[in-house]
Amino acid sequence: MINLSTSTKPTWCPGCYNFQILTAMKNVISEQIDGGKKKEDFAIVTGIGCHAKVFDYINLNGLNSLHGRVLPTCLGIKIGNPNLTVLGFSGDGDAYAEGIEHLVHTARYNPNVTYVVHNNQVFALTVGQPTPTTEIGFRDKTTPEGVKIQPLNPLRLMLASGASFVARAFAEVKQLEYVFKEGIKHNGFSFIEVLQPCLIFHPDKKYREKIYSLEESGHDKNNFDGAWKKAGEFDYNVAEKIPVGVFYQAKKPVFEEQFPQLRELKKKGIGWVDIHR
Amino acid sequence: MRLNILFGGQAGQGPNFLTHILGEVLVKLGYFVFYSRDYQSLIRGGHNFNVLTFSDEPIYSNDSYIDILVALDENTEKIHRKNLRKSCIVLKGHKENMYYAGRLFKLLGIDFKILEGELKNIRIKFEENVESAKKGYQDERKSICVLRFKKNNSYFIDGTQGISGGAIKSGLDIYYAYPMTPATPLLVELAEKQDKENIFVLELENEISVINAAVGSAITGAKSMVGTSGGGFDLMTEALSLTGIAEIPLVIYLAQRPGPGTGVPTYTSQGDLNMARHSGHGEFQRIVVAPGDPREAFELTSQSFYFSQKYKIPCIILSDKHLGESYYTLTSKMKVTKSIKSTKLKRYNSYEKDKYGSATDNSEIIKKNIEQRNKKVKEIEKDVKKFEQYKIYGRKNSKNVILSWGSPKGAILDSIKDLNCKFIQLLYIEPFPKEIKKELENHNVVLVENSSTGLLSNLIAEKMGIFIDKKILKYDGRPFLCDELKKEIKKVLK
Repeated sequence: MINLSTSTKPTWCPGCYNFQILTAMKNVISEQIDGGKKKEDFAIVTGIGCHAKVFDYINLNGLNSLHGRVLPTCLGIKIGNPNLTVLGFSGDGDAYAEGIEHLVHTARYNPNVTYVVHNNQVFALTVGQPTPTTEIGFRDKTTPEGVKIQPLNPLRLMLASGASFVARAFAEVKQLEYVFKEGIKHNGFSFIEVLQPCLIFHPDKKYREKIYSLEESGHDKNNFDGAWKKAGEFDYNVAEKIPVGVFYQAKKPVFEEQFPQLRELKKKGIGWVDIHR
Repeated sequence: MRLNILFGGQAGQGPNFLTHILGEVLVKLGYFVFYSRDYQSLIRGGHNFNVLTFSDEPIYSNDSYIDILVALDENTEKIHRKNLRKSCIVLKGHKENMYYAGRLFKLLGIDFKILEGELKNIRIKFEENVESAKKGYQDERKSICVLRFKKNNSYFIDGTQGISGGAIKSGLDIYYAYPMTPATPLLVELAEKQDKENIFVLELENEISVINAAVGSAITGAKSMVGTSGGGFDLMTEALSLTGIAEIPLVIYLAQRPGPGTGVPTYTSQGDLNMARHSGHGEFQRIVVAPGDPREAFELTSQSFYFSQKYKIPCIILSDKHLGESYYTLTSKMKVTKSIKSTKLKRYNSYEKDKYGSATDNSEIIKKNIEQRNKKVKEIEKDVKKFEQYKIYGRKNSKNVILSWGSPKGAILDSIKDLNCKFIQLLYIEPFPKEIKKELENHNVVLVENSSTGLLSNLIAEKMGIFIDKKILKYDGRPFLCDELKKEIKKVLK
């Protein structure tokens, strides 16, 4: 198995669920490389926050980008070379606050990009402020009265925006490997939310006990209405049951397949960098 | 000979079509034409007008007075009455613009066959247009001159086409933009050419997405460019700063219009000089060029690709509505500066990074990185010497100096022809040509700028301690006009 590690020593807190995401992603990519892909066939993009450290811990090309701008960067890389497997990583601050417009529009564009949102329901690296998915009643130094605003339901937002692949997993290697593999395999924009408790600022709400597998419960991922219903089961406040797995998958026109210039690059297996005028 | 023809009417009546046909024909005949567009931020109604000035010698601007008025609606004559010469010929009372084309061609003594040929080339509504034009040609009784074919080695383009040509000839791969006047014409121009030139042109959800997508494409090695105006550029500046630290080549077209805020969207200004120089947090290297006509737009765009690729830095092309949307008649050839693709996909970072491309806060590495990036300044300052950083026109030995940059160039060149002064035009804002000091020191310097404070004077004071207190400024959104500017220059030089 190829070693994708870097020499940078991880600085996440001991036991952080980000390690689960890192391990799962490295496993999935290694497996693909063992299966014949090259390291150079991948590009990774990260935002800003705890999640973004995965850039330093996976030895792949790409950009550790700005806060909130992961998706336009991914789209630009895909347009620059449609042959690359492009993986984006964001936190909930990146994806649902600072850069939410890109999330909606990238779902519409449907490029073949896999997007992983590390949702710990808190701004962790800035020491604990609420994000758009923090539950009502959460308190920190900036919200002494507690959060009053209803959290966003990102899965429903993605379904409404036309995303062609919508999944959720709890931050646990085995589950993650499954959704990452399915997401990368999917031809189109794959939205994967990872519920990732923050040990320091947003401790475990017993999510692990509340999750159940959509795959095991016979959910039909090709049914939009069913996916919409399942996505409503957890409103990011308190939950009895939290469905995980692939909520929705559909065949939709893929961004880069609709432009002759990009189709040509794909056909020839090259990027713009290889065109000399 | 210098004649000003004003075409006015409501938006949607087609004054542009009419202006452009006459302009094209005059240029083909060997005359020099300049026309500018004055339009409002609306789609139908209101009052839009174009002024076309032509001459048998090179010209690059309009005047305030009108020799021939083409009024497509009743309002036009009222609005422009105070600018009509006593001898002004007014064409009015009819609705179709091609009817006026016929009358104008007769009035200027141009063979009808030439107009017919032009209409044939356009193909749309040919028979209808010709019939209407023929009627106009017959209705007009007199000709004020006879224009026949002279020698012709000129071309007729606007500033936008200069930028687009320069970008394409320099190997542009991908252009991203969000619509914003007056940068939108470049988006349209490149979109139309994308199939033929095998480039990719894309409109995204906002300017933030635009520049970050361009960064994504640039790190794969694609020659990438974005275009916008003031407000859109404001949104881009965080990513501009990213290109600085991550050393990503990017060309940015910044077409100015009057700000602050939404300002006056469809008019012209040079108020963004400081923004182009200083925007973006932190210290990083950039190049800012300021073309004054379409040929310079072409060449400085080409040089921007050269510098951005060679030094992996952002290059900003500072234009404005007046340059971008006015048509110029030019004769000298446009030069391409070759640039190689310098970038390939590796590990890029918006943080200070170690040799593996990973984030670091190591003090030694930070210092080394910054020094390595700063080193480019000296290299660029040396390299830029092979290009013209500024130009001198007029009486080279005169102690009177007109100093300017960008689109006022045209009106200045036209107005100083018989005045005792020279004109220094700055082409490179960054890096700033220090040699200019000897041209300004102990001279009677007058700054001409489309702004209310004279931003270039601050830059000159900062760079060389020379304080310019004589300024001719225009900040009503309108470009300088030759006759008015000439009067002002004379007054200041007295």
